Amino acid sequence: MMDTRFGGSAGLLQRLRPTRVGVAELREVAGALLPCLTTPGLRAELVQRSGAGSVVVLEEDERCVRVHLGDLADEMTRAGVRPTTTGISAAFASWIAHRPVTDAAAAARGIAVLDWSDARRTTVGWRVVVLRGELALPWTPSASADAAALRRTRAAAIARAHDVVLDLRTEGPVALWSHASIPALASAALVAPERVLARIAAAGLALDDMHVVVTPDRPVACAGPGIAARLAGEINESSVTLPWRRLPDLPWI
Amino acid sequence: MSALPADGAGAEVLVPHWLTAAHRVQLATAVRQAMTGHPVHPVAVIHLEDVLTELHVAAARDAVWPASAARVRLATGWDEDVLPVRLSAAELASVLALSELPNAVRGLLTGNATA
Repeated sequence: MMDTRFGGSAGLLQRLRPTRVGVAELREVAGALLPCLTTPGLRAELVQRSGAGSVVVLEEDERCVRVHLGDLADEMTRAGVRPTTTGISAAFASWIAHRPVTDAAAAARGIAVLDWSDARRTTVGWRVVVLRGELALPWTPSASADAAALRRTRAAAIARAHDVVLDLRTEGPVALWSHASIPALASAALVAPERVLARIAAAGLALDDMHVVVTPDRPVACAGPGIAARLAGEINESSVTLPWRRLPDLPWI
Repeated sequence: MSALPADGAGAEVLVPHWLTAAHRVQLATAVRQAMTGHPVHPVAVIHLEDVLTELHVAAARDAVWPASAARVRLATGWDEDVLPVRLSAAELASVLALSELPNAVRGLLTGNATA
């Protein structure tokens, strides 16, 4: 699977026959960019260690990422990052934007969406995501997050999901929900399936037994069970089809 | 109503037919004309309604998962509006039985022409 943490813009040839990203070039980029990328609450720096190579350190609240520069350069090479100053800079900025989401950020700005709950992409569950620019980043609760805090964060994320503005388009017997710029938010409306049904009905489509076809990060399709099966059954893409009444019972990830 | 089972068990094989937007409009028009113009056998009506449904579903499929059709279009050089319309053998037969079906669309559905 393509590593999207570095922006994922490399061409196929670059990924198949990658040119090595050098540690020296990455160190130069990191040294120039880290002071600019530091934000309130985020400590981002390059720690020079004699004999052990340099380490990039990202510290934000309870989260801490420490990666050897050499390992990061290897990962960039594998991801097909172009070994130019521009290519490495874009990949490094993207990598920092993909850093873990803190408990405080999830509590303050989290939004509930559906995401894959297994590596084989056969089941979905609710997940709190936090937006950074046009990225929707998943939150994994820290070990220090207690049950009450978890409940509060998830309840607030559901409330914010109600307010996400989505586009609704009907294609015959299929209703399609999408977000203008952040694909992961397309499933946010499903926190309130009755409202989804009402909006679809207002658009002129009556779905008595609405089933939803969910592929996280793609538009959500709603249709009757037979049509939903036809829609999802003829495509070599992972998706989950389920009746709308099961949506509130899906587990949290 | 649909002739297709909802749970996928025993579902028929649906074969893709790659049609341009104009050909999809011609197909939908021919099906609607047939269903309103003269008596059609009730079973054929179900299949023809499923064909109309599939024309919508094909567009919805492409909106949700555009990559697979895009790969085929890239490999074949077909235009952006060419989509796979997936029909069962019974649906295809019900369409080919229509005298209203334009020859260009008939040729594409029988494999005697390309999009």
